[in-house]
Amino acid sequence: MASVELQGLHKEFGNVVALDDLDLDVAAGEFVSLLGPSGCGKTTALRCVAGFEFPDSGEVLVDGKDVLGLPANKRNMGMVFQAYSLFPNMTAQQNVEFSMKIRRRPRSERSKRALELLELVGLSRQAERYPRQLSGGQQQRVALARALALEPAVLLLDEPLSALDAKVRVQLREEVRRIQLELGITTLYVTHDQEEALSVSDRVAVLSEGRIEQIGTPAEVYTHPKTSFVASFVGTVNRAEVTVLSASGKTVRWGPAVLKLETEAFAYHDGDAVTLYLRPEDVTLGLGRNGTIPSGGLFNGRVTSITFLGPVTRVSVRTEVGPVVADLSSAEALELSIDSEVSVDVAPGALRALAS
Amino acid sequence: MAAIAVPTSNKRRRGGHGRLQLWHVFWIIVAVLYFVVPLYSLLQFSFEGSVNHHSAGFHWFLTVFDDPQFRSSFWLSVQIALETVLVSNLLLVPTAFWIHLKLPKLRPVMDFVSILPFVVPPIVLIVGLVPFLQPFTFIYSRPEVLPLIYVVFALPFLYRSLDAGLRAIDLKTLSEASANLGSSTLGTLVRVVLPNLRQSIISGSLLTVAIGMGEFTISSLLSFNTFPVYIFNIGQSQAYEAAALSVISLLLIWGIMIGLFLLGRGGRTSIALGATR
Amino acid sequence: MAVTTAVEAAPEPVAVRIRAPKSRRSWKGSLRWLGVLPFAAYISIFLLIPTGELIVDAFKGANNNFTTSGITAVMHGQYLQSFTASIELAALSALFGGVLGFFLATAIVARGAPSWLRSTMVTFSGMAANFAGVPLAFAFTSTIGVGGVITVLVKHFGINLASSVPLSGTLGLALVYTYFQFPLMVLLVIPALDGLKQEWREAAENLGASSFQYWRRVAMPILLPSILGAMVLLFGGAFAAYATAETLSGSTGNLVTEYIANLLTGNIIVNTQISYALAFGMIVIITVLMIFYAALQRRANKWLR
Repeated sequence: MASVELQGLHKEFGNVVALDDLDLDVAAGEFVSLLGPSGCGKTTALRCVAGFEFPDSGEVLVDGKDVLGLPANKRNMGMVFQAYSLFPNMTAQQNVEFSMKIRRRPRSERSKRALELLELVGLSRQAERYPRQLSGGQQQRVALARALALEPAVLLLDEPLSALDAKVRVQLREEVRRIQLELGITTLYVTHDQEEALSVSDRVAVLSEGRIEQIGTPAEVYTHPKTSFVASFVGTVNRAEVTVLSASGKTVRWGPAVLKLETEAFAYHDGDAVTLYLRPEDVTLGLGRNGTIPSGGLFNGRVTSITFLGPVTRVSVRTEVGPVVADLSSAEALELSIDSEVSVDVAPGALRALAS
Repeated sequence: MAAIAVPTSNKRRRGGHGRLQLWHVFWIIVAVLYFVVPLYSLLQFSFEGSVNHHSAGFHWFLTVFDDPQFRSSFWLSVQIALETVLVSNLLLVPTAFWIHLKLPKLRPVMDFVSILPFVVPPIVLIVGLVPFLQPFTFIYSRPEVLPLIYVVFALPFLYRSLDAGLRAIDLKTLSEASANLGSSTLGTLVRVVLPNLRQSIISGSLLTVAIGMGEFTISSLLSFNTFPVYIFNIGQSQAYEAAALSVISLLLIWGIMIGLFLLGRGGRTSIALGATR
Repeated sequence: MAVTTAVEAAPEPVAVRIRAPKSRRSWKGSLRWLGVLPFAAYISIFLLIPTGELIVDAFKGANNNFTTSGITAVMHGQYLQSFTASIELAALSALFGGVLGFFLATAIVARGAPSWLRSTMVTFSGMAANFAGVPLAFAFTSTIGVGGVITVLVKHFGINLASSVPLSGTLGLALVYTYFQFPLMVLLVIPALDGLKQEWREAAENLGASSFQYWRRVAMPILLPSILGAMVLLFGGAFAAYATAETLSGSTGNLVTEYIANLLTGNIIVNTQISYALAFGMIVIITVLMIFYAALQRRANKWLR
């Protein structure tokens, strides 16, 4: 188990900046996700740690020691690739044994350890199968077992689930987390899937254009986005351009409504234009009784679309301040239909304001 | 992964890769030498001086150009090559079209048949052909027999090329659309399929020209004085002339290869395996 | 089935098919086969029947009786030696060409190799692989033959190349064949090298393997069927070659192809059955090679896809 520090990593491909002085500290035993859209530099950062890519400047420290001078095959890091990384000429067990064979571990020790690891990933019965005889999910389990064989200091996962079916993906990400917790191994996990990152990580680092926009626990990143990029990339969000009514009272004017923000730091002045962020699940809708105009909300609107998503139903409402999206429990949403007149309200403390 | 950044500080040197690169460069140099040295020597020979040790310049080339046998053998080979192209296309284009459209289950059979010319190389085929064709004197004694035989060796290349071309176009939809517009099958072939197959036909035909111009075994054994046979005979006594003729032959092959390259089917390169060796 | 009917129906088979009642479908079905008749006839006359007759004649005695005496004869003495010489030459040239071609191909597709290198080398390979036969023989005569450019050059170092490596000998011919063998190897093996996934190399590296260990334990086992398959093709091509060897060794040549040619031109007078038997022997050997090739190809496709 080891800590990992990325200090001022900078990398350019031609004139494209892939990493823009990226800093990241990962504590020993921590599970940190690098989350961002494609091209944000998350994979490049991971490959710099693994030794497949070399930064133009900056350092990668493992337990305080610089590893950039070491080639990839001396870094003792386990890596799981996106897909198709298993050696096709070896069985699952031989794949897992590969690194131990390279290290000339005795045969009995090798096969014992390999079988243990296959057991750990739930594939002890498929040990003799070749990669082409395994499903995509099983292949990635073997790849994980293979990466863990030498008890690496750090586990690196590069979008390991992105080539899999949605159902397998959810199942496998939980398993990755279970195994990580069981072994207590420091883990860097690259993904573009925010749900995946939020569900398994100790901390999530949101990347954009080669920099970390925000790093924090999944809850922090989700509920307290620090930048508009984070707010809109992580989860769905309603956005509204508003003006500050009173900086001291932390109030803003949104259409006809005056809203009080419950943020601690409010570094704006009266009259500033700011952007409000509001999660759909923090929006509540009220239905008028017996065809009356509903009251009690911030403003009224008409339902324009209803999308059933399983446990929740996403409802779009056209209001005088523009469209607002709300996630209601599906039971609640049953009362609504297209063109229903509704009142829109916001849960207290749910509003975030960021400079426009 | 295309880019390997050149390290700007010694910290980022890639372990072990420097040696590997040198290893690659070594093989590239060996290959380039193997490729270039015989060509250089051939050129050197063809331009080499006569008795007085002065560079002969184009002397040997001019000598062979003056030889009426050069002209007749070259012309014969050109004729044979063109006839081979004509016959093989007339035979294979409609056949490939028909098989794709009406008898797709014959395609594996065709794949197999188009391998057979490799299994039965020229030297073997001629053993069987001589007694078989000998009774038909009117064709056996005429040089026109050569293109008829060469079609067999053009088959793999032309058929493969046509097969790939036909697979690339949706023949069924095309022909149904054209039938829908009132075209007959023949009309479909001429107006719709041929234009779409132009590239396949040209690239297959270029290789066929290479075979027709370069084939030696059968023409020499049937005693026809084709261009390669002529070079062979000259080479028995006149080394410089033979070198000059080889240069001409080489330029011819390269012209064809460059034609194929410019045709550029995604950088594909084809080899007239076997037939000219 | 009347041919005239076929001619009448042929111009509009699509329309006919649409209107045709069910009962006439089988009649239509057999009509379709007429479309491949010209090709079938042609290939029968110029390939299948002569080859078939050759095979039959290889087993035919003087009185048209069945005999294996011809086959037995070519499995002994000078004929057997001609097969051995051909096989030796084919094997040696396939080995030279295979090794040089394989390493060149790996260099061309290596990480960090510029893209122009690949397109240039592939084009050159196409050119070199097609440069064979009589002109190639003269190119090598000008290089390492008596009075060849290299021969003259190394004479200063006291090496007599023309007599130590005569072009008509097995080694000399193998060197000449290598000229078209190695580019062919490049073209055959590049697709297999392209099939090696970058993830395999990186995974191996990540798991502690050196570049050599990666090649030994991962890349080579995966590539081996493709490499062997390509070399089988090289072998077959060299085995069947005639023009180059005939130009260089002339009447002294003892390859099986040269033997057959000598028999045909009457340079050697024996019963004709021998030439059929030799040709049949070549077909058998090449067929075995092709079966071997197909098996290797199947094997290669299992891993590289």
